[in-house]
Amino acid sequence: MLFPTATFAIFFMIVLPLSWLLMPSVHRWRPFIIAASFVFYSWWDWRFVLLLAGSILWNQLLAVRIHRAAGQPSLSRSLLILAVGGNLAILGYFKYYDFFVSSTQNLLTLVGIDLPLEVRTLVLPVGISFYTFMGISYVVDTYRGDTVPTTLEKFAVYLSFFPHLVAGPIVRPNELIPQFDSPRSARRVDTSRAFYLIAAGLFKKVVISSYLASNIVDEVFANPSQHSSLEILIAIYAYAVQIYADFSGYTDIAIGIALLLGFKFPQNFDSPYAAVSLQDFWRRWHMTLSRWLRDYLYIPLGGSRRGAAIAYRNLMLTMLIGGLWHGAGWTFVVWGGIHGVGLCIERWRRTRPGASTEELSVGAAGLAWRRLLTFHVVCFAWIFFRADTFGVAWEMITGLFTGWGEPSPLVTGGVLLAIAVGIGSQYLPARVPRVVLATFSRLNVVAQAAVLALSLMVTQALGPQDVAPFIYFQF
Amino acid sequence: MAVETERARGEGRAPRPAAPAEDGRLLSTAARAVVVAALALLLAALLNAQNIYKSVYNQPDGLQRDIALAFAGPLREVSMALRLDRPRAWVESAIGREHATIDTEIVLPPPPVETTPTPASGSGSSPGSAPTGEGPSGPAAPTKPAKPRFTPENTMRLWVAGDSLVITPGYAVYRALGQNDAVEIVGDVDGRVATGLARPDVFNWFRHVAEQVRKKKIDTVVFNFGANDDHGDMTGLPKGVSLDGFGEPKWTREYARRVGGLMDTASQAGAFVVWLGLPVTRDAAQSRRFRTINRIVSAESRKRSGAVAFVDMYAMLSDDDGKFAPYLPDASGQLEKVRADDGVHLERAGGDIVARQVVREVRRVYDLWSWRNDDAGSG
Repeated sequence: MLFPTATFAIFFMIVLPLSWLLMPSVHRWRPFIIAASFVFYSWWDWRFVLLLAGSILWNQLLAVRIHRAAGQPSLSRSLLILAVGGNLAILGYFKYYDFFVSSTQNLLTLVGIDLPLEVRTLVLPVGISFYTFMGISYVVDTYRGDTVPTTLEKFAVYLSFFPHLVAGPIVRPNELIPQFDSPRSARRVDTSRAFYLIAAGLFKKVVISSYLASNIVDEVFANPSQHSSLEILIAIYAYAVQIYADFSGYTDIAIGIALLLGFKFPQNFDSPYAAVSLQDFWRRWHMTLSRWLRDYLYIPLGGSRRGAAIAYRNLMLTMLIGGLWHGAGWTFVVWGGIHGVGLCIERWRRTRPGASTEELSVGAAGLAWRRLLTFHVVCFAWIFFRADTFGVAWEMITGLFTGWGEPSPLVTGGVLLAIAVGIGSQYLPARVPRVVLATFSRLNVVAQAAVLALSLMVTQALGPQDVAPFIYFQF
Repeated sequence: MAVETERARGEGRAPRPAAPAEDGRLLSTAARAVVVAALALLLAALLNAQNIYKSVYNQPDGLQRDIALAFAGPLREVSMALRLDRPRAWVESAIGREHATIDTEIVLPPPPVETTPTPASGSGSSPGSAPTGEGPSGPAAPTKPAKPRFTPENTMRLWVAGDSLVITPGYAVYRALGQNDAVEIVGDVDGRVATGLARPDVFNWFRHVAEQVRKKKIDTVVFNFGANDDHGDMTGLPKGVSLDGFGEPKWTREYARRVGGLMDTASQAGAFVVWLGLPVTRDAAQSRRFRTINRIVSAESRKRSGAVAFVDMYAMLSDDDGKFAPYLPDASGQLEKVRADDGVHLERAGGDIVARQVVREVRRVYDLWSWRNDDAGSG
């Protein structure tokens, strides 16, 4: 069930009033929202529900055991390894099995060994990466003593809650589970922000992302050698905007829906293309994944506590694994590697003698240059993220230099406008949405409904007939 | 609503409609949120009623469609009566998009006189009945097959069209032939998701192809249809024609009429047609249905041997046992992923396999390479 569909609209208009009707009694609300979330998830494939239920039971069982074994370090550690290993085994089986088998087979073929391994062609359950990471958060936080295992019912709500289920944001147990303890206030619903996020998210996804995908990105990345250097350059910028609009659009809708139900999710994007460094970029892009990787991978690896060399290694490993999390392919690993190398260079620059004095003297021009540089490094890495193969990525890169002056029919006013809107919106002063929301919140019911209806109509009219699934569903 | 529940508990006064929040905006009650959401969706439905009706109309027959139509029909009537369909029409006309209409008219040319396949023909196409292109000379005499010749000055105009399955192999064909200066690619791959020949109300390919082949003066067109047609439902039936279920005689006759008619539409406008059959898929039942459609397409292309070539994607993308193969070895023996994770569509490497066969079919009827010798001679 995709968010920008009539099916979801009907589903949500049944769930929203029922949720508030049941809310005063949370012990009645919780089973209801679990059932609603399972219906939402089963819309893709009812078998996925079994996997989600299995994940809930597995993580709850192990979290309770880990908590009970708190005084026995070796036992609790073993249980933690079992819990995390189980999560990763499921993720690895569904997401990476074919990738590892084909990579191994190709490696063996290169050295003359013909080992007939069989690929399985498994269907990747939607959102498995997201709820697996949330399950790992739960057991690791329990092991660290940062959280105490909750009831099975509350944990089931936490893991299956439909607004975040298929593409995040990755919410930590301490952020969400306490919100299920008591009824949410029916008098203090942040509707203006919720509606704004939903309307803006739909516009980003249905109009900006889909328009750029179908008007330049898909065609150029499918066939780079047939396009001019200008088309290739603009297609790379367009993809940067497309993936931002697609993913941030989804999380905007998710956060807005949760707000309407009375729940708060953490922010997931904060104008990432206004970042002045790669480190800054990762504080603004998919923020909940960044902090997950930091807290559950980079810091357990030792972070920067064991000297400079280990810190660089940990940074690289975190980004390479983060790359592989995004997709079962070597192009994703290279994407992570580019970010890892960039972050290492930035770290080296920050930690060398005299760096702090240099930082203080950076003026407006210096910041603008850093923004421009960061944006282009990010765009360069996106080439590998989007390209199906290294061959395509190479064609894109070489094509940037070999076809200037050729006709560029795909570079239209509409494409440039969509890119400008996508990037320009990230430099919008914070007071603009603040004023818009304050004004909207003071409108009467009919006027608010009319504004929303008009925005939905314009989004539908400008968007394509069919809306493609969100890019991040596959991760 | 929880608000009413709290009131019922005897707080003694009506809840305040809004509470102050951060950043100057007012918070709201849950009841108001539900009312605004419901009203907004109702108004949006009225503003988009014409398009909602069209998408409901385009759903497959069944109870779900009947129920949806029962709502969408009156909604459209109300929208039109209140002129609430106008704002969307204005927006659409401002961006040059057609307003939603339902078009099920199928106009097909009369079928050609059946030709006898040339024995030398490897897969159904024959240079003996090559189409009359815009640039090259017309069909060669059957006794001495001379291929129409294209050069950079007199290019072969190539177009790819079909449903979503055509997109990846289509781009692969563009890659394979696009490097040749004697080939001119006419427009992007025209792959339209969830369309086919059974439901012209969803998208009328018969009208679109007839317009495009004439307007774009196509010499070679690569088609792939049928992946969304593996059901018993068709719209745009001629008067007096009824259906008897997918793959049954009446259904087969009507579907064959449409396939053959589309082939004729293109070939009578001067285009050589390369029709990609449907591939084997992960779902065995779907694969069986796809084989049924392939048999119809293959038979229709044999009837038009020389003007139409059938490329058997099913066999090409199967393993040695004829089953679905997500990975296939390339020329060097390295396994390459040829099928997308959905078990139906193709990956780039799969598209390349298909494109190689398309190039062979085009080579059978057209001379696209000899101009290079001219250059060498004159240079």
